[in-house]
Amino acid sequence: MTGTAVPPGAAVQADRVLVRTRERVLAGPVSFSAASGATVGLRGPSGCGKSTLLRALVGLLPAGLTVEGTLHVLGRPLDDPGPLPQLRASAGLVGQSPVVFPGSILDNAMFGLRHVVRAPRATLRERAVAALEEAGLWAEVQDRLDSPADQLSVGQRQRLCLARALALDPQLLLLDEPTSALDADARDVVEASIAGLSRRRTVLLVSHDVDQVRRLCDEVVDL
Amino acid sequence: MTLLVERGTAASAARPRPPSWIPALTAAGGLATAAAVLLVLGFVVAGVTSGDVDWVELITTRTWDAPSGAFGAGAMLWGTAAVCAIALTLAVPVGWSASIALSEQLPPRIARPLRSGVELLAAVPSIVYGLVGVAVVRPFVSGAGDVPGGDSLLAAGLVLAVMVLPTIVAVSVDALAAVPAATREAALVLGLTRREVVRSAVLPLARPGMRAAVLLGLARAVGETIAVFLVIGRADGRLPDPAAALSSLLSPGQTLTTKLGGPEPVLAGTFGDHRAALSAVGMLLLVTVAGATLAGSRRHRSRVHRVRLFRARRLRFATDRAVTAVRMAAIVLPLVLLVALAVLLLSRGAVGLLPSFWTTPALGASGGGVRGQIAGTVLLVAVAAAVSLPVGLGLGLLLGEYAGSGARGALRTATLTLGGVPTILLGLAGYAFFSTFLGWGKSWLAGGLVLAVVAVPVVALTTTARLDQLSPARREAAQALGLTRSQVIRSVLLPYARPAVLTGLLLGLARAAGETAPLLFTATVFAGAAAVPSGIVQQPVQALPTHVFALAQDAADPAALASAWGTAVVLVVLTGLLLLAAVPARRRLEGSS
Repeated sequence: MTGTAVPPGAAVQADRVLVRTRERVLAGPVSFSAASGATVGLRGPSGCGKSTLLRALVGLLPAGLTVEGTLHVLGRPLDDPGPLPQLRASAGLVGQSPVVFPGSILDNAMFGLRHVVRAPRATLRERAVAALEEAGLWAEVQDRLDSPADQLSVGQRQRLCLARALALDPQLLLLDEPTSALDADARDVVEASIAGLSRRRTVLLVSHDVDQVRRLCDEVVDL
Repeated sequence: MTLLVERGTAASAARPRPPSWIPALTAAGGLATAAAVLLVLGFVVAGVTSGDVDWVELITTRTWDAPSGAFGAGAMLWGTAAVCAIALTLAVPVGWSASIALSEQLPPRIARPLRSGVELLAAVPSIVYGLVGVAVVRPFVSGAGDVPGGDSLLAAGLVLAVMVLPTIVAVSVDALAAVPAATREAALVLGLTRREVVRSAVLPLARPGMRAAVLLGLARAVGETIAVFLVIGRADGRLPDPAAALSSLLSPGQTLTTKLGGPEPVLAGTFGDHRAALSAVGMLLLVTVAGATLAGSRRHRSRVHRVRLFRARRLRFATDRAVTAVRMAAIVLPLVLLVALAVLLLSRGAVGLLPSFWTTPALGASGGGVRGQIAGTVLLVAVAAAVSLPVGLGLGLLLGEYAGSGARGALRTATLTLGGVPTILLGLAGYAFFSTFLGWGKSWLAGGLVLAVVAVPVVALTTTARLDQLSPARREAAQALGLTRSQVIRSVLLPYARPAVLTGLLLGLARAAGETAPLLFTATVFAGAAAVPSGIVQQPVQALPTHVFALAQDAADPAALASAWGTAVVLVVLTGLLLLAAVPARRRLEGSS
């Protein structure tokens, strides 16, 4: 890991952060900062609280857990994040196993968009298509956008979830073990998509896979 | 290379005899259930074919006049439709909103006790709701409109709304709880508000189950006899002109069930076309209720084909808060009902908590206590328990393991149908078979057997539901050791199902104990039953629900009404004890693997 100098535009900044239950510490203390546009890997063994920390960033801490220390996400302190839906729209979280909603592939790509952004449908569609391209799924689905999303393979679904988050044009992307539920082939494709993400976005990647983190990230933080 | 297989010692040695009572138990369960279904169907079909039924006249005309041979059920169909429409119009929006509040908005710590409260409401015997109808709803309607006495379709619809609300809430909450938490999180992380998550991510998946809740509520409303009987006025031939439909809700009427609940079907003079017409009414009822029950109990694996798409709104957060507030308000209504019911029972029926009320026999028309009624109800429930435990267990095991998938589907349908038969039809079929055909007259055994039919589907379905959760690996591990099918059932399934059987039995008995309609013609008298029956033929008993029913019909007499409330308290305490006993069993069920 390189130095801990904090650039002023850090998307996430953590200072001696702890995730704990009442009885014991699950993760940390950890300090790191993810500069705008950087890809930062959080690495650690299974069950060490990485995913919990990632969820805490967008106010989805499971009941009974607390976060201590100072944590800033997109310039706001964690204990005063403003309206959570707004924070979550600009800090997209993609989980371990893909969840698709009932409806078509396009419905899924537009799922967050159509709730969060007021715009004509054509504009929303354009953004969804751009997101599918950025997620590396467009070539495979462009001629069947209206077919049900649950017909996709698991690797395609995971990229659809990525596209769904990207459609909101988030500054920060939180990836929680995005390939651990996938087989080797699907993992390679999703990794390629992650590597091809726009450099405008800050990416925080949680993984237990040392090699993956090394392949994809500019910086690595050990938990 | 030769492969030598030593002929196994264990395989060839004498096996322990497989438990032969297992096939006997499951066969008994299957046969007894088939017999009960056939008995009910046979009763209705035999009745319909015993005379000429003009179905067109039956459905389209309003005049029911046996002496002149006019048999039109149009007014009853209107009555049934009207009371059910009132009930569902009131109960569905409140029930759905409350279920969303319970499942999606309240923290589990608060929601869990509220859910139990709603389930408690669903288990209150319908006769108690009938009594509430007589004492509260009828005067309310009479005061609100210009309705002498308050007997009206509106009063019946209001009582039914209160009765079906808990069913709708309980089943809808189950449907919502079945939506995976990951789905909610996936929508939340995209920046949706709580309301948007519910509307766009949760409801599309829960909707089939929530519709099923309405169907089950509808089945309960259409099939309910006793509570409606007490407040509807039972006036034949009231089929209003379309223009007057709304105002006719404030006048008395008749439904399919209340027609059958009256004395007509069991009068000596009912034969030929008259009997056939009544049986045809029964058939209409059976088809509607069993159909709604089956449709509501279907497993919802159907894919969601078309999703409603919602667009971003102005004032997202304000809307979110407003909708949340409305849903929270909806949860208040079932709670108010629960509290009001408790207050009513305790204030008007306080006498039911006195030991002397439990230990003295009834006196005259409305005096004394209910010793005989308690003894009778205990006897009836004991008979029902003795029959429904083996039959329900056998049927449950049969459903869970024995039957091949095709046969299993048919058996499951039969079980659900039996559970969906309106209890008034069970009573009439029991009357035709036990009381008339076997010549038992009014008999405790006939009553107990009919109540067993009420409890059996509950026991069987609870058992099967538990067996469905058994991991196939466990069954396979036993089979891999060479156990026969009976041995697998004996040593794997039965121990696993045991807590569910007990829970199902207690829930089934709690339901049976509160049933009124099946007993009216088969088993009970208001007074004069022997303390201990000395045989089967003509050995009636007194029972708590029918006692309340008889007293409640004498609503003009304050003493009768007071005694009815007291008896209702005793009944609620007894059914409550059965439910309470089921709670620890169920907790163990949910805790264990």
